Amino acid sequence: MTRSIIHLNVADFAVAVERIVDRRLQNRPMIVAPLGSARAVVYDMSEEAYQCGIRKHMPLRMARRLCPDASVLHPHPDRYERAMRALLKQALPYSPLVEAGDGDGHLFVDTTGTGRLFGPPVDIAWRLHRQVKTDLGLDPIWSVAPNKLLAKAATRLVKPVGEYVVGAGEEAVFLAPLPIRLVPGLERDDLDRLKAFNFTRVSQVMALSLEHLQVPFGNRARFLYEAVRGIDSSPVLPAGRPGPAVISDHDFDDDTNEPAALESALYGMAEHAGRRLRRQRRAARRISVALDYSDGIRSIRQAAATPATAHDLTLFKAARQALNLARARRLRIRHMRLTCDRLVFPPAQMALFPEDRQNREKQDRMGDAIDRVRSRFGKDMIHVGRTLAA
Amino acid sequence: MPTYPCTIRVGTSGYSYAEWLDAGFYPPDTKPGEMLRQYTRQFSVTELNYTWYQMPRAPAIERMRQQVPPDFQFAAKLTRYLTHEIDADQWRTHAAQYRDGIAPLIQSGQLAAVLVQFPPSFQRTPKNRHYLAALLDELRGLRAAVEFRHASWATERVYVELERRQTALVSVDAPGLKELFPQLSIVTSPDLFYIRFHGRNARGWRSGDMQKQFNYDYTEAELHEWTDAKLERMAGQARNGLLFFNNHVRAQAPKKALAMMRLLAEQGLMR
Repeated sequence: MTRSIIHLNVADFAVAVERIVDRRLQNRPMIVAPLGSARAVVYDMSEEAYQCGIRKHMPLRMARRLCPDASVLHPHPDRYERAMRALLKQALPYSPLVEAGDGDGHLFVDTTGTGRLFGPPVDIAWRLHRQVKTDLGLDPIWSVAPNKLLAKAATRLVKPVGEYVVGAGEEAVFLAPLPIRLVPGLERDDLDRLKAFNFTRVSQVMALSLEHLQVPFGNRARFLYEAVRGIDSSPVLPAGRPGPAVISDHDFDDDTNEPAALESALYGMAEHAGRRLRRQRRAARRISVALDYSDGIRSIRQAAATPATAHDLTLFKAARQALNLARARRLRIRHMRLTCDRLVFPPAQMALFPEDRQNREKQDRMGDAIDRVRSRFGKDMIHVGRTLAA
Repeated sequence: MPTYPCTIRVGTSGYSYAEWLDAGFYPPDTKPGEMLRQYTRQFSVTELNYTWYQMPRAPAIERMRQQVPPDFQFAAKLTRYLTHEIDADQWRTHAAQYRDGIAPLIQSGQLAAVLVQFPPSFQRTPKNRHYLAALLDELRGLRAAVEFRHASWATERVYVELERRQTALVSVDAPGLKELFPQLSIVTSPDLFYIRFHGRNARGWRSGDMQKQFNYDYTEAELHEWTDAKLERMAGQARNGLLFFNNHVRAQAPKKALAMMRLLAEQGLMR
């Protein structure tokens, strides 16, 4: 069945949200970047600032030199999250399949099969756009296409304003003349490698067979081969109801990159997450750690927990693994988030070897004892030495 | 049986509706990209409504044009940037973009008309009158047909001015609501008359929901209201006539368009 996917893309989302809060910021160059940090980089910028040559992740100092008139605003992720929720709410009446980006102004709506209820997808897209403009004051770019990849490429093409409808069967014709960087999903490495071969247009890559692509790209070849042909079967995930997760946040009083301080905070978060998991009688299969550096860059890494776990120590071990992967820079860290998701009911199968089993049972008993002490005397009544280390 | 020098074409407003598959108008498994080709088997004209949503682009229009027989015609709805979301500073640029976008149809002689459909909020005020005059100047040579949705435009002075400009006034068959432009059959251009059948669902019209607004099944008697008297007179006043059915819900539009073609053939108004 031919699908109809609507993509809404609020260009320069952080700027658009800040401009709703303060109307005086309209039509003038604007940069969103963390203030008070010597090595801050640009988080987002307005179209006017973009025209001056400012780009995301550019050092703020350089951005200021390029565009001295630009107003610089500190990022407010909470505002962007609220705006995303409002955007999502506008789309939910049209489809149960609405996938929202992570505070970035992107929204996919799968309207396949809703024609009899709401009319043609292009009309839904236009109405949705009009509603968002009237109710939220945002002016998203919109597109309608047979899949997410094409829908996203279409909004990238018309950025910063406009709309684009890609008809079914027009995949190749639509993509062929575009610059290769507009194809969603391509990473910096892919683009660099393509550039090395002097490939800048989709049509050039389209001319290559899968076997040709496999030579330089190996495992990535299949993805590239399909992406340039507009093939994408990825579903629009039912968001608004993201998979259940237990999230724990920690703000450092002073930004730090001391391993002991980071691990101590992480253990505290693992304990907190573990307690909540156990209360829900769930166990997590994936543990991720997000680090916000003092220059505003975020780094997220994850680790798998096999089998799924709700034990503080096992959670901590996985979290430490993720932390070590995420800590790739020497900069200090301002904020850390631990997310435990892919929740399942705790695995009932016992460990195969008696030694493992005994260890696990011992940990279970210790966890239970700590939980009991805390529930009776308060959560600060008992601490693990590690959390006191820093 | 009298013969008329007028060429009448009947079609539907849009042809790409997934629900027309369910309703059986298109054979099962017809892909969206194949609908136009299927449509041309039964009709010789269609009204393009996607050009209202999206500014037409010449390559896309050309690809679409290549799917149809050479004598097939298109009436293209004017972009919403010139009728519903007018930007006082930008509209002339939009008009130029629109003209460029539909150029393949002009060049091949397959542009039957440009439908300029205004919303109910576009009332007859001095500002809007001036805008309309400037817009029609800008669209000169494109065989524009103007559809009003507000009753304030139903005055003799408007008809006289459209006649002077040889621009068609769109006749609408819609619910008889007080504020709506009334159902008229005035021909203001010797070149073209243009009728749109929106359905007469009064309750649905106000719902703001397209699926209710255009959900109406014309009876044979209601079609006869047009064929028995009005159409004969209109055909005597213009060289071309376009009739479009917009009651697209559950594929009522193509069914009634075919019924209308049968009635017109019986009367000798259509070959």
